[in-house]
Amino acid sequence: MTQRIQIVIVFILIQLSIGYLVYPNLIYALTKTAHWEVVMFQGFLQWILIWIYIKGLNYFPENDVIDIYLKMGRWATIIILTPFVINLIALVAFNIRLHTEVIISVFLPRTPYWSILILLYFISVYTAIKGLGTIFRSSIFIFLIVIPLVLFNIFSSVINFDIHNVTPAWNSPARFLFNIKFFYLLGFSSFLFLGFMASKTKLSFRQLFIACASVTLFFLSVVYIPLFIFGQDTVVTLTNPFLEAMDSVEISWFSFNRQTMFFGLSLVGLVIVANSVMLWMISQVMRKIVTSRRVKSSYWIIAFSVISFVFAFFVPNQSLVEKFFLWSTGAQAYSMIVIPFTIFIYGFLSKRGVIRYEK
Amino acid sequence: MRNNNFYKFLIVFMSTISLCGCWDIKDINKRSIPLVMGISKEDDEEYRLTLQIPIPKSNNQISRIVTEKGESVASVLGKIRTNSENAVDFSQIQLIVIQKNLANNQRELRSLIKFLMGSEEIPSRALVAITDDNVDKVLSNINDKLGVNASAIYDYFNKGVGWAPELLNTPIWEVYRSPFLSTKDIAVPAVRAGKDTVLVFEGSEILRKGKLIDRISPEESQFINMFQNKNVKGKIENLGVATVMITNSSVQNKTSMKNKKPQVLSDLNLKINILERKEGTTNNRIRKELERVTEKRFYDLLKQTQSSHTDIFGFGQQFHHLISYHELKDWRNDYYPNLRVNFEVHANME
Repeated sequence: MTQRIQIVIVFILIQLSIGYLVYPNLIYALTKTAHWEVVMFQGFLQWILIWIYIKGLNYFPENDVIDIYLKMGRWATIIILTPFVINLIALVAFNIRLHTEVIISVFLPRTPYWSILILLYFISVYTAIKGLGTIFRSSIFIFLIVIPLVLFNIFSSVINFDIHNVTPAWNSPARFLFNIKFFYLLGFSSFLFLGFMASKTKLSFRQLFIACASVTLFFLSVVYIPLFIFGQDTVVTLTNPFLEAMDSVEISWFSFNRQTMFFGLSLVGLVIVANSVMLWMISQVMRKIVTSRRVKSSYWIIAFSVISFVFAFFVPNQSLVEKFFLWSTGAQAYSMIVIPFTIFIYGFLSKRGVIRYEK
Repeated sequence: MRNNNFYKFLIVFMSTISLCGCWDIKDINKRSIPLVMGISKEDDEEYRLTLQIPIPKSNNQISRIVTEKGESVASVLGKIRTNSENAVDFSQIQLIVIQKNLANNQRELRSLIKFLMGSEEIPSRALVAITDDNVDKVLSNINDKLGVNASAIYDYFNKGVGWAPELLNTPIWEVYRSPFLSTKDIAVPAVRAGKDTVLVFEGSEILRKGKLIDRISPEESQFINMFQNKNVKGKIENLGVATVMITNSSVQNKTSMKNKKPQVLSDLNLKINILERKEGTTNNRIRKELERVTEKRFYDLLKQTQSSHTDIFGFGQQFHHLISYHELKDWRNDYYPNLRVNFEVHANME
């Protein structure tokens, strides 16, 4: 039972980490009114995909995604999972670089970015090498530290709200669906790790439902806090709307006069969890594809994290970082659609096959 | 086993390295922390930047004024950094005073505000004020007054609820936002150097899409606070026959569209406390008088702003559910001049 709660916590933390930074900008670019529609629609799609994914995984108890693909055949595994691993490397790299840039702008203006990069890498690689148990335990700590900060940020920003800045409206929903940016958006719902952890505990969709709902609520708040404070036309001119929204909050009686500090601190915790989970996923895939006794999974983590560190280090400027990050989430969206469906279909077919065979 | 302990000890020991913390840390006693920044532009050529930096000695009562000139605000900030004895930390700037001749230039003002908003160091919640006086004079005025704390100019704007209800607080992010909002304009407080006090509040400058339009009196700027439902508790009003203090206020607006013309039913509820009265004046008369004066003041201001197409009250904000997003873009020119406001004041005794 505890492990299920831990999985839910990791799920929430990863979503927060990825959703804080580029997510609101994407939504503002997608629509001018009725932002909630886009957020809800994305949440809804995510629910469907998770449902299919878990349904598919439950056909194979005690197996994780890689085992299932290995049953399909070694080549199927390599074809489907190699792009996924490459994508994860890119995502780790640009996610960490993006967070580094924001952390620098929040509270370390004179620190060179590579030192923060090294720090974040070192901690998340260490956590990933230590394995799933460490990730779970540290995620509970980080959850307990970060969630109060996040909630405090949300509630303290209420003092600057002007509800009239948002047009209450109902769009004809079809338009944003055909925008390529909506595809990127889908990539922000990272749930694929569920299949890598579910080997021991059987997950049911109902347990994840609350997590999904709270994540959708969080996404709504991330989108609507800058909107309530600045309004749509202002928000599109800002590079980091949520950061600016936090910066505008002034509570004179409060001993900390900068809300952005809390925001920056919570980012540090979130990015460590997200990246260690992604690195751990990479090691799992590589360990099972390359069945060599000599190569331990920690070697894979170190090797791939060095690759992504090099990526992260050599991106020249922030706008490129954002662009690359978007591309890698777009690619992630591709595997988010392909992996649940292939697993579900394969599970469905093999179950039928078994039944026929018995008759 | 002993070897293992040695490594553990080494790791714990290494973690102390991170204790020295951030890169190039500068202790707080080695920084100069300016509180107020004054910006002006002389002869349309060079920016002139003045900083008021408190000296943390002798009960915080002295501060120094640093002035520098340059082609852009950013370059002046750099120059001040270079020439200062300490590291100058701009992250605690609380107030930015802009001289009127600079603020009059719409383009300059917009780029200035954009710079201040985009700057990572200057906090976007610093307040903005406009002055007719020379900026140097406003900032150095603080040193001539006896017993005034170095943070006086900041304290002036942050008295708290119930002390100065007319005073407006306009942070940078609101000024930055105002040209993008199509249904609301803002007012920026106007101050000048006082003879006995550090600052004198002169009313507010109305900004329409980042352009200075008009100045309104302190009484009128109180309305703006009122319509943002900020409590104007503590406002003292002289009615000729009596003097009353407003102890509570609340505004309720009902919006509707009639023949494509916007309409607002606005009710202002005031709770008053009578401080003094001429003999023989009834409570009822005082109430009626207050209602009459307030209504007249409101309609005058409304007429004035409608002729300049400046929605200072933000009435348009409340039409978001009646007019579509794209039509509201023309709120200032198409709708606001035709807006009918039915304003009623209901004064009640405490």
